[in-house]
Amino acid sequence: MYVLLRLDNVQRHFGGVHAVDGVSLEVEQGSIHGLIGPNGAGKTTLVNVITGYVPFQSGHAWLQSDELTGLPAHRIAALGISRTFQNIRLFKELTALENVIVGMHTRRRDDTLAQLATLPMFRRDQRSRMDDARALMEAVGLAAGEIADRAAGTLPYGDQRRLEIARALALRPRLLILDEPAAGMNPSEKQGIRELIEHLNEGGLTILLIDHDMRLVMSVCKRVAVLDFGRKIAEGTPAEVSTDASVIKAYLGTGGEKVVRSAPGATAGGDIEAVEQSTARPAAEPREAILDIENLTVSYGAVTAVRGASLRVAAGEVVALIGANGAGKSTILNTLSGLIRPDSGTAVFDRLDLTRAKPSTIVRHGLVQVPEGREILARQTVLENLELATWGRRDGGAKRMQIDAVMKRFPILGERRALRAGTLSGGEQQMLAIARGLLARPRLLLLDEPSLGLAPQMVDEVFRTIQEIHDEGTTILLVEQNALRALEIADRAYVLETGQIRLSGTGDDLLHNPAVRRAYLGG
Amino acid sequence: MDFFVQLFTDPVAFWNSHTLLIAQIGINSIVASSMFIVLYSGQLSLAAPGFMAIGAYTSVLMDLYWHTPLALNIATGVLLAGVMGVLVGLPVLRLRGVFLAIATIGFIEALRLGVILNLPITGEGLGLKTIDSDPLNGIYLVLVCLAVVLFLVWRLTKGRLGAAWAAIRQDELAALSQGIHVARYKMIAFVLSAILAGFAGALEAHLQTFVDPGDQQYGVTRAVQVLSFAVLGGSGNFVGPVVGALVVTSLPWIFVQALNYINIVTGLFLIAVIVFRPQGIVGRGGLAIIRPWWWPRRNVRASSPG
Repeated sequence: MYVLLRLDNVQRHFGGVHAVDGVSLEVEQGSIHGLIGPNGAGKTTLVNVITGYVPFQSGHAWLQSDELTGLPAHRIAALGISRTFQNIRLFKELTALENVIVGMHTRRRDDTLAQLATLPMFRRDQRSRMDDARALMEAVGLAAGEIADRAAGTLPYGDQRRLEIARALALRPRLLILDEPAAGMNPSEKQGIRELIEHLNEGGLTILLIDHDMRLVMSVCKRVAVLDFGRKIAEGTPAEVSTDASVIKAYLGTGGEKVVRSAPGATAGGDIEAVEQSTARPAAEPREAILDIENLTVSYGAVTAVRGASLRVAAGEVVALIGANGAGKSTILNTLSGLIRPDSGTAVFDRLDLTRAKPSTIVRHGLVQVPEGREILARQTVLENLELATWGRRDGGAKRMQIDAVMKRFPILGERRALRAGTLSGGEQQMLAIARGLLARPRLLLLDEPSLGLAPQMVDEVFRTIQEIHDEGTTILLVEQNALRALEIADRAYVLETGQIRLSGTGDDLLHNPAVRRAYLGG
Repeated sequence: MDFFVQLFTDPVAFWNSHTLLIAQIGINSIVASSMFIVLYSGQLSLAAPGFMAIGAYTSVLMDLYWHTPLALNIATGVLLAGVMGVLVGLPVLRLRGVFLAIATIGFIEALRLGVILNLPITGEGLGLKTIDSDPLNGIYLVLVCLAVVLFLVWRLTKGRLGAAWAAIRQDELAALSQGIHVARYKMIAFVLSAILAGFAGALEAHLQTFVDPGDQQYGVTRAVQVLSFAVLGGSGNFVGPVVGALVVTSLPWIFVQALNYINIVTGLFLIAVIVFRPQGIVGRGGLAIIRPWWWPRRNVRASSPG
């Protein structure tokens, strides 16, 4: 066994953000290597660097003896690194067969002259290419006979994922990089993808697998590397990695040493079932709910993101909704804000039917969302951002006073009122986004990943602010990947896994429940 | 409706009385093929009239000053248009979509207003008289050339080159990951389209007794007309822009009574097609509207133009 892909101290910064910060990695020929890490850890950036989409800033990479550093993407592909994309990038209007044939580009003789003369040679090559393409489609489990001539964009979602793999295989790669191949799939489709990955690997293909579904990664990979904040924090067998303290900390949150030691992952393996049995009971749901969600199902086209979720929030509570990336947390929030319409189920906020009301009505009714990724207006000043939040209101004097109050509440924003919002640090931008949400005078504030991509100190700061806002009387529904921190301040919490609510309970209960760890890191 | 009556009852008389129209359809179809190639590779370039001007002026000037044979004049015009295509493409192809369109409009207007209207040798704003023009027999030359061009374009879209272009049009990033040298293939498309436009320009000059440097001929108006060929006919299939050229060029002759309002008629026609058949008259799978019942239905979504 030799090393197929070798990375040496690869770095990539975007402005001040260290997306990939000195990662070294060795992938053995013939293995399935996992690459995991929380949202924003730099996994996709690392793949983009390896495949040449994003240039290296420093460091080196080799595929066997071929140096990849500084090569453009098409040359790297020609060297034998092939990839799929997190958000499927098929050639949608080409047929499935044509998609696979495009994948043969690098190993195809330039037949321009032959085709101009319509030489028989071209026809023969074309026929053998089509046979090859059909064989590849069959190999990834697609019924070539039925779908070969259909436009790729019209295929069902699962078939599109498989077709993308077939296209990647058409390159005859030495290394196949799968970027979240099972994203958005239901358990049986995931099982199918898992069998496919194992089958491809048995044929001798080396695979670098990135996925958020830990059950998948832990079950097929021989070795797993874990990224967090652009650094490799752990590497080893799945068993080693899933019990590694720093990995648990990266996934479940930076709750300080005390919390980590008593964290679910630190519990000895044997009594997990017992503990789970004893504590995985639903917490008493409040009688008087300000927000009442019943059996909510939401899908994007063929992908069902939320399956029959029910939850309630009472006035004055902090309720956390936690779960790994892709579990459906943001989808629930966006549904509550009226940005997405559910397939079925009800969502009522203070007698207002959220599944029907217009987003603007919902905000006026007092349900305000602070979106994931902050979504501030980067080129406007801080003050302009805040003023825009009160734009639709007619009470001029009160408006001013409220903006002043908010600036007092967040002194840092007062200081920087004249600066462009884009120049603020990530934490300050989050403050601005929260301040903007408060200006809409919410009775229920939805916070979507407020700690995403922030350094640990800033995370502390943001959570302190959330606590204070709650103390001032605002009800909060908090969506977080940083489960430990969220559970610390939450009265109650729901754990979401692949679109379903798996557990619910008081914050303290769940804080010590190993099932939470399993929802994130797989069992 | 005399137009259609004559077309179907007395084709020979139609041919004789519509020579100019048929020749113009031929020329416009070649320009439309030039447009097709850039659109097929995902580039919204409006540079065709500029390259037509280069082809036209080069061949006419060679004829005027050196009295060289027609074939050589046209070949030189085409070659120069191709070279210009490389020079313009190098900076401009870094842009995409609407920005590319604006940059190419900049090119054609700079060429027309800045160079052609200011060089004594081009006759400045007055245009050039072409001594060797041959409006009557030129029509056969044009139709033969059109047939050759259409055949070549059809074959080009079938092979590795065409597959790469189609991939780039759909998703440049994904095309890169298949090992396609995106910048090179875009350049090939741009230069081929320049060559075809230059060819059409040189032929057109040969048909007309006069090279007119007006906006209708080599300016934005022409560029928009060429784009409308592709929008109307559809750009997913090489037949599309040609059908578009056929329709757009014929409209003034069909609505001869409403000639003053022909732009409104064309506009309404265009809007109707965009609303009711956004993929153009000819979809990617061919002329689905007139698909005979025994012809297998292709389950493809046709591509939108541009």
